[in-house]
Amino acid sequence: MECEYCDILAGKSKAQLLYEDDTVIVAVKDVVYTHGQITVFPRQHFTIMEQVPDEIITKCMIAADKTSRAVFEVFQAEGTNIVIQNGLGAGQKVPHFAVEVVPRREGDGLNLQWQPKEVSQDDLDISAHQLSEEIAKLGDFTAPKKKEAASEVKEKNIEEIKESKSKDDKDNYLVKSLKRIP
Amino acid sequence: MPEPTEEQRKQWEEKIKNMSPEELQELQKQQCIFCQIITGKITSKKVYEDSSCLAILDINPAAKGHILLLPKEHFAIMPQVPEKVLGHLSIVAKNVSQVILKILRADGTTIFIANGAAAGQRAQHFMIHLIPRRSGDGLMPAEEGLVGAEMAVKVKAAVEKKLLALLGGKKEVQKLTVQKAEPGFETKIPAKQQEPEVFITSAAAKRYHKEKCPFAQNIPLENKVTLSKEEAEQSARKPCTCVSGKKIPLVKAAKAAKTEKDQTKKGKKSPAQDPASASEKKRGGEASLDDIANLFK
Repeated sequence: MECEYCDILAGKSKAQLLYEDDTVIVAVKDVVYTHGQITVFPRQHFTIMEQVPDEIITKCMIAADKTSRAVFEVFQAEGTNIVIQNGLGAGQKVPHFAVEVVPRREGDGLNLQWQPKEVSQDDLDISAHQLSEEIAKLGDFTAPKKKEAASEVKEKNIEEIKESKSKDDKDNYLVKSLKRIP
Repeated sequence: MPEPTEEQRKQWEEKIKNMSPEELQELQKQQCIFCQIITGKITSKKVYEDSSCLAILDINPAAKGHILLLPKEHFAIMPQVPEKVLGHLSIVAKNVSQVILKILRADGTTIFIANGAAAGQRAQHFMIHLIPRRSGDGLMPAEEGLVGAEMAVKVKAAVEKKLLALLGGKKEVQKLTVQKAEPGFETKIPAKQQEPEVFITSAAAKRYHKEKCPFAQNIPLENKVTLSKEEAEQSARKPCTCVSGKKIPLVKAAKAAKTEKDQTKKGKKSPAQDPASASEKKRGGEASLDDIANLFK
């Protein structure tokens, strides 16, 4: 498969590899918005964000955050943009999910903005209704973590109950023994 | 508001200097529109909410369905956001983006974060923009361009040390050593196949299988016979689909497909009763994620 980012990993590209671990790669491409732009992408090949597992997406974002911090310090940037172009319509060029970290400076001439539109309240209401309904259909997509937490709590509770029971038993035993003493 | 006099300004500056970090944060919160939206003092069009974040519609959107994803706690810029919150936000962003693609039938989404006024940040509250995109919509007109390989080398020289310090140093990756020896994924695959291939069959069976084939795993141990590739080809046995790669319609597979179809039929019938999904159908169905991913091919 032709993928520029997989090529970077394979050492076939002019891009420079900055960092890699088992899941995340940080590299400098030679096709960029502006000098000093750094790209963070997962080692495994995913085309769009929706295909990337939660763990990997989390790691990518954290790596992007750290890259942004490094960019702030090293280039003395006045700001950074973190951009994910997700899908052809969003201008995604390489079919491999990636997070771009772009250093910014006042008056650098880079136009990553949009023209805000005026929208009627009705339109907002309609989209809000449609979107929230559909998101609600997804259920609790952060659930696995919460379930774990819940089971931990349950276990703790059980332990606590056991402990408290054993304490009660001890107390009872002591009380009983006290009562036995004539 | 009238311009403050210089005395007033000095007083304020001193006040701010003497404030503890907690007090400063409190002041920022009071000044922050989005904190007031989160507490409910200002109304908003909520799309999603959980214990640590809130997603609302932008009132001056780049496109219809432009969503702002906010952490409930006040952070001015991304470096202040704890990893845990950032991870949670990115998972929520992924799911909300999925819904944007589906419901608004967008060709893509742009996930955008601006840190600092120079990057186009307008509010003092960290947020993730989720913008529905369509080909040729003209939003974010900046284009990526070729700058030459020397630049990449320079950037690497400048950033590498700091970045590695932040990311916890160089990590040893096993895959890297393999790739350096034989660059490219294509060369890696034949290397694996060079290992002598072994096929498995049962003493009385008419077909032979690969080791990992589910049929091979069903053969009881006492009947298991292992063959080399040549032995298997010369024997009267035929190759299983796992070896030949041909798809032979299996009775089981056909049955499974049938039940799946039935289930989807049943699944489709029930939502069709409510008017919302009926209107969706009128609009010509939903864009599937695979379609968007496959556009590249």
